[in-house]
Amino acid sequence: MTTLAVKRNEMAFCPGCSHGMVLERLSEAFDRMNLAPTDVCIVTDIGCVGISDRYLDCHTFHGLHGRSITYAEGIKRARPELTVVVLIGDGGCGIGTAHLVHAARRGIDINVIVFNNFNFGMTGGQHSSTTPVCAQTPTTPAGATDYPFDVCQTVGANGASYVGRFTAFDKDLPDRMEAALRAPGFSLLDTWELCVAYYAERNRLNRKTLTTLSDEMDLPLGELECRRRPQPPSLAVTATGNAVTKTAEPSIALSWAERTEFCVAGSAGQRILSAVGVIGRIAVAGGLYAAQSDDFPITVRRGHSVSNLILSRKAIVYTGVDRTDLLLVLTEDGVRRVKSWQALSTDTLVLAEASLNLPATGARIERIDRKTAEKLVGKTSAALALLSYAIVRGGWLDEDRFRTAAEFGVRGKYRDENLKAIDAGIGLARAGFELET
Amino acid sequence: MPENDLPTGRTIIARGGYAHKKGQDVMREFITGNQAIVRGAVRAGCNFVAGYPITPASSILTEVLRAFADGSGVVVQTEDEIAAIGQCIGASMAGAKVMTATSGPGISLYSENIGLAQMGEAPLVIVDCQRMGPATGGATATGDGDVMFARHVTSGSYPIPVLAATDATTAYRLAYEAFNIAERLRTPVILLSSKAIALTRQTVDLEKVQLSPCVERKAAAPDATFHPYKVDQPGGVPDFAPIGGSQRVRFTGSIHDEEGVLTIERDQIDAKLQRLNTKILAGSDALELVDEDLDDSAETLVISYGLADGAAREAVRQSRDCGAMVSHLTLYSLWPVPAKAIRRAVTPSIKRVIVPELNLGLYVEEIRKLLPGIDVMSIQRIDGGLIEPQRIVSAVTADSPCGCRCGGQSK
Ligand code: SF4
Ligand SMILES: [Mg+2]
Repeated sequence: MTTLAVKRNEMAFCPGCSHGMVLERLSEAFDRMNLAPTDVCIVTDIGCVGISDRYLDCHTFHGLHGRSITYAEGIKRARPELTVVVLIGDGGCGIGTAHLVHAARRGIDINVIVFNNFNFGMTGGQHSSTTPVCAQTPTTPAGATDYPFDVCQTVGANGASYVGRFTAFDKDLPDRMEAALRAPGFSLLDTWELCVAYYAERNRLNRKTLTTLSDEMDLPLGELECRRRPQPPSLAVTATGNAVTKTAEPSIALSWAERTEFCVAGSAGQRILSAVGVIGRIAVAGGLYAAQSDDFPITVRRGHSVSNLILSRKAIVYTGVDRTDLLLVLTEDGVRRVKSWQALSTDTLVLAEASLNLPATGARIERIDRKTAEKLVGKTSAALALLSYAIVRGGWLDEDRFRTAAEFGVRGKYRDENLKAIDAGIGLARAGFELET
Repeated sequence: MPENDLPTGRTIIARGGYAHKKGQDVMREFITGNQAIVRGAVRAGCNFVAGYPITPASSILTEVLRAFADGSGVVVQTEDEIAAIGQCIGASMAGAKVMTATSGPGISLYSENIGLAQMGEAPLVIVDCQRMGPATGGATATGDGDVMFARHVTSGSYPIPVLAATDATTAYRLAYEAFNIAERLRTPVILLSSKAIALTRQTVDLEKVQLSPCVERKAAAPDATFHPYKVDQPGGVPDFAPIGGSQRVRFTGSIHDEEGVLTIERDQIDAKLQRLNTKILAGSDALELVDEDLDDSAETLVISYGLADGAAREAVRQSRDCGAMVSHLTLYSLWPVPAKAIRRAVTPSIKRVIVPELNLGLYVEEIRKLLPGIDVMSIQRIDGGLIEPQRIVSAVTADSPCGCRCGGQSK
């Protein structure tokens, strides 16, 4: 059963256009491989070749210009058993170059046939990225000055497993197509053609001169040696997956007053966001509602690092922090990032690293010593220790409840480290800081 | 000390993962809006995600990677956003339930392919984690500036259902519902989120969220001859057969007849394009997703969506605490405009409507069109900060019949 539904002369291409011929060759290759119409999906790009889908009796997908490769890759990933073939023009290879290169690089098993007639046939013969130097086109009236794009070398150097350049008139084209279809991984056939309406006529290109053009452009015909790549090591991703164990735990209900807003302001590298996250999770495990919103520059390893945490015994509908109850300031970056110093009232407790100069503010200020915390638990855990200190110091939780809730609510890889930091903070709250005055 | 409003029963702490346990156990978690979206998508049966990294949407991709690591789906990071949505459309037509997520710059690159999904009728869920302003804007700042863009995101201006999350819990629910709409109507659906939802961690109890029954696209009868775009009634949705299945499928972004073949016949063109419009609009009542908190004697109605909703809820509570009569309507579906729900919320005594938005005051114009003769006030903020509840409270209580001027301070 042939994949081609109509004869060449019934196709809408200009008489003498190579497109119909290449489609016949492709259908021959499918037949030889005994591929049923539903074993194949043809994805057509835009341009004259883009109307081919209606002549093909198989699954067809006709999408946007240059993007055929992307649909083909999606289809192949969803249906790996399907033979997926892209029919694309030289125009599509230009606008969709990135997709060609990266599909080849990923080694996705699709087969690309380039219907390369050196110009945009459908839009009136304008030059394309494969137009030879000196060629006459409506957009290169004085002759093309740019060198053509070597699509074969490009994909061959970037992971394609079978690449070849042929003319539409080559007798063995079906063999080449079969070889491409059978090759595992990405394959591409650059098939040189005649656009009789525009390019061929203006540039005296015919069946014979197609071959000499290859010499002139130094783009050899035939199969191309692809750069071999070693098999990449396969790295398994750890599945947290859909199968998950959930254990029933007794509830530790934390008592909590109304909505409380905490803000921790410091610098990148202090693990402020994770410290606040740890406290948030303890609160949630204790039956409270929490909302954590972070503020950091896009270059995460430098500059300020600010994290806001709202805790409440009722659902939190508004996640903005406008009335900070606790402001824990660890560094100069943090001081600068807090914009509301002037507006703060005695409702706000500020716990600030002793060495920092603070702007004028109406808030209650107490000093802390970051170094002490760092000595106890290390630089990366000091923020959590100081936040724990603050929670006890501010009277939001008493030592025992906090410790029990932490035992219950702190999970994960850093459990021990985090519990140690919380303990250190609770200890500091009892002992107080020795501050130089 | 007041009791926590914790439902009685055991607390079960979920440690990540995507299983969905039935039962009455409380399962509170502390997750971001992006994580919630992935939960909702997986719950809906999503099994294909392609994306390109962009703040603040990136963690959707990494979350999906973890969710699909057991082989339950395919996830791919592509060379750009165009390839991401392209692969999704290909996979969707091959039968996968697909999603892609990005921010404003990426939605811009999706634009042409959103039209393709529309024309070819490929179910597709698109998440827009909005950021502040045009172009690169503020990558780590928030806003709701894409509400009109989402409606008119592709050429032709044919309708696309658009939903808007207000927090992590609704992000979960709406991601799930977005799949149902996409599958039922074979259309792209846009889910709007925003940096302050995407990356804010909140307490959620996903088990308690009410979800509608899971919808799969209607499969074509396997024995009959398949006509890819044939419908049995004017506003209908064609039956689906996957590319790669036993029935030959034609998909195309060109104007086409029932067989999926390019057509120049005006009656066929008209039928197809009318149908793209009517299949969304004719059943638009079913697409209305709102939350009504109405007071029959209210003179003021607050209508909110997206990021402003949290502030609106808080403001309504505070205003009521100081005696104001106020109604509140939350819109979870923005397009088609949930006109019925909006009109229903305008009870006879309503004299004024307040619409807070994290943009230049965009959606308020839709509400004004719907409610001629009613004073519709716009509250806006565009600098990346949230609208404070206080601003809404002041607006609500300004003309309060009780003469309350406390601005909610008396609580
Ligand atoms: S314009 Fe050129 S490419 Fe198009 S059908 Fe005619 S000859 Fe073929
Ligand atoms: Mg061409």
